[in-house]
Amino acid sequence: MTNYGLVIDQERCIGCQTCAVTCKQENNVPMGQFWNRVLTEGGDHIDTPEGSYPEDGETGNLDMQYQPTACQHCENAPCVKVCPVNATYTRDDGIVEIDYDKCIGCRYCMAACPYNARVFNWDEPEHRPDDGTGDVAERPQGVVEKCTFCSHRVDEGLDPACVVNCPADARIFGDLDDDSSTVSEYVANYNTEQLLEEKGTDPNTYYVQGEMTPGRTWTSDDLESELDDDPSAESVSADDAAGDEPVPHVPAEAGGGDD
Amino acid sequence: MAENPDGPHERIPAWDETADAMLADVDYDADLGKRMADDAIRVANGELSEAEFHERYHEEVKAEFGRDDRPTDPENDD
Repeated sequence: MTNYGLVIDQERCIGCQTCAVTCKQENNVPMGQFWNRVLTEGGDHIDTPEGSYPEDGETGNLDMQYQPTACQHCENAPCVKVCPVNATYTRDDGIVEIDYDKCIGCRYCMAACPYNARVFNWDEPEHRPDDGTGDVAERPQGVVEKCTFCSHRVDEGLDPACVVNCPADARIFGDLDDDSSTVSEYVANYNTEQLLEEKGTDPNTYYVQGEMTPGRTWTSDDLESELDDDPSAESVSADDAAGDEPVPHVPAEAGGGDD
Repeated sequence: MAENPDGPHERIPAWDETADAMLADVDYDADLGKRMADDAIRVANGELSEAEFHERYHEEVKAEFGRDDRPTDPENDD
């Protein structure tokens, strides 16, 4: 059985908000709404650090941590249990979704979600441009919506947009039921946490803290399971890798002398 | 998402206000929504069984929504 999950390496996350923006574009998320947010831990308000600036020759101690947060796709999802019309449901592959045709907008699921990961379309959705973005149809006024792990992409054998577009390779998506998948290996081998573990919701989203992982180790759009070769295997020959070379985020410097 | 000093099943006070705001002006019973939300967490952390949860709210849900299609119905076990 497939059970999709996400690992977010908080040691790699640089708080750039690309996941939030690409999610909006991919999923046609209306103005004013976010399915995917990068919260911060530090000062009293979001995006504020704790500590002090270095002034007058003193040493500063500013500190702020990034907390990317979206639907956690819980195994034991309270939102699913409270939906009176069964509009929120868990797919066989572990993705928690909403049937927007069934949703009656009672918002009980929002109150039940301990991660505040759901948004409600109070008004008619507005988009820039007006005809929207991405390939996902807009949701009507009066329904609750949220992250789907980009199930429309996953169904095509592609990673979620936030995973592919994370410039820090901090997001790794895959099958938690496959012990050899990268997500499973990272969960097993690194210090990972689930948010609000004490709630018993058993999220399929794990956060790495402490030691940095190698991150997402391939550059294709494809799910790891769709790749022909194990991208992390060192035994992949140069010939095999031809045409599928990793693209560095920063172009390599030209060699040679000083000019 | 600060830890709750009162225990896992009790709402953080600030979250209680957030839930009130979420359910403000809802066309359905906001109090029922909050009670169900709290108990759904109790189901998640093992304090309450799904069957008990379903039974506890079945009549109220049917009265409010005219149906109860929650997946917690023991008769829908598949």
